[in-house]
Amino acid sequence: MTGITLARRRSRAGLYWAIASLVPKLMLTYRSWFWTDLFTQTLAMIISVAFWRAVFAASVTVGGIGYQQTISYILLALVLTPLVQNDLIYTFGRLAYDGSIAVELTRPVDFQAAQFTLTMAGVAFNTLTRLPLLALGVLAFGLRLPGDPLAYVCFTVSLVLGGTLLFFFDWMLACLAFFTTEVWGLAVLRFGLAAFLSGSLIPLAMMPQALRAVCAALPFAQAVYVPLSFLTGLQDLAGAPRILLTQAAWTLALAVLSRFVFRAASRRAVVQGG
Amino acid sequence: MTNGTWRYPSLYWCFLLQRFKILMEYRANFFIGAASTVAMQASGVLTVWVVMSQIPNLKGWDFNEVLLVYGLITLARSLNHMFADNLWTVGHYYIRGGGFDRFLVRPLNPLFHLLADRFCHDGIGDFLVGALLVAKAITGLRLAFTLPLFAYLALGTVGGGLIFASLNLITATSAFWIVESVPVTRSVFELNEFAKYPLGIYPKSITILLTWVIPFGFASYYPASAITGRLTDTPPWLIVPVAIGLALIAYRVWLFGLAHYTGTGS
Repeated sequence: MTGITLARRRSRAGLYWAIASLVPKLMLTYRSWFWTDLFTQTLAMIISVAFWRAVFAASVTVGGIGYQQTISYILLALVLTPLVQNDLIYTFGRLAYDGSIAVELTRPVDFQAAQFTLTMAGVAFNTLTRLPLLALGVLAFGLRLPGDPLAYVCFTVSLVLGGTLLFFFDWMLACLAFFTTEVWGLAVLRFGLAAFLSGSLIPLAMMPQALRAVCAALPFAQAVYVPLSFLTGLQDLAGAPRILLTQAAWTLALAVLSRFVFRAASRRAVVQGG
Repeated sequence: MTNGTWRYPSLYWCFLLQRFKILMEYRANFFIGAASTVAMQASGVLTVWVVMSQIPNLKGWDFNEVLLVYGLITLARSLNHMFADNLWTVGHYYIRGGGFDRFLVRPLNPLFHLLADRFCHDGIGDFLVGALLVAKAITGLRLAFTLPLFAYLALGTVGGGLIFASLNLITATSAFWIVESVPVTRSVFELNEFAKYPLGIYPKSITILLTWVIPFGFASYYPASAITGRLTDTPPWLIVPVAIGLALIAYRVWLFGLAHYTGTGS
């Protein structure tokens, strides 16, 4: 490798590091949101625990799963789900609305790579902000974490892959902003569908076969149910290599597809000019 | 211009017509917006269905009865969503940008102007889902469509809608001091999630909170209890004084905030 190439790569890495370092600054501006989130998520934990207690008062197992495993799963899903949500639809909507997409595409940096860096830096930062909620789940609501370190390794790899493939899927969905001109409804629609289909509200193992098939065919569960199944014992760790390879294949396919879709969509983009 | 009693209703109708003209310019958005809330509700309902299909009841409430509670709170929330959604945006959209001053120099009640400025069509989907859930529950429970039944449904929906709007008005008033009122509004609003299920599944303290402090229970649990023939400590008709009293308090709080409004200088 020549000295010039190495220097270029270093400066490129520095560029993405600079993009990533913007995220904490942006998020610390909205400190009141942290406290609101902590409060509303605590309420969500109280409601979930009361609901599932009432459910298990009527039956020892539901869908073959017991109370403790369900509670751990549901509480972990509450902590995890906001981490794998991104703002791509809103970002694209804003860029199409005020026309700044034209500026973004002329910058000397890959637009998708920059957005990916921003999203992943957001996930890393938000992970820290979710830790108090995780602690609350363990201390106050009976959340139990596994003792096997391998479960955490499988969970982390699966979460990174799941979050990445969901980013590419959402990237394609966000391209619709170039056609619909308004994105609030689109974002709420995606959020509503994902809430159920990702396994954020109930573990897929409790669903009837037909619904499970729908969830398995869509990418949402790859970022919530699949990683959490390692952490809650719903998935045997022996099956991890096959599952992680499948996730890697999803990621690769969606990454390639998302580039094509964006190229085609951005050619048709008509900005509104604010 | 119509004077007297009909002035505000006819003005509201004018605002509404203009709003629909805007919405119809972006038809795809209109339908996506209305459908989006259906998807949100469908997720919650599917969860209840999946779980309830595997257990006999939830602390004595069967699937249709739980659906009734769920449908009633959805209906009440949908009224707030359609007619009072602008309370969410008063801080960051109107006050921050200085647009709120526009309301103060017009010969209209500023609160009316704020509410009439944007009818939120996303709430239509919410309303339809709520109505469908209640209809499914009533049919499933084989209840006759009698006058008391309609009265409880109407009181729960309209009174509940008023409770939602009043609580949002109280919390949105904080925008006159802190500008960004959404975190405050959201903290109180999110408590309505409790009222999606029968209050009997929660500890007693939460039932008291949802009855006497943040009275979302009157929108769903109490009318549903009356409709399904359950006796509760709190009579369901109390929703009338509670909703009206809360609305009056909320309006006083709003006027107090308005009197302290100084603008952001932007």
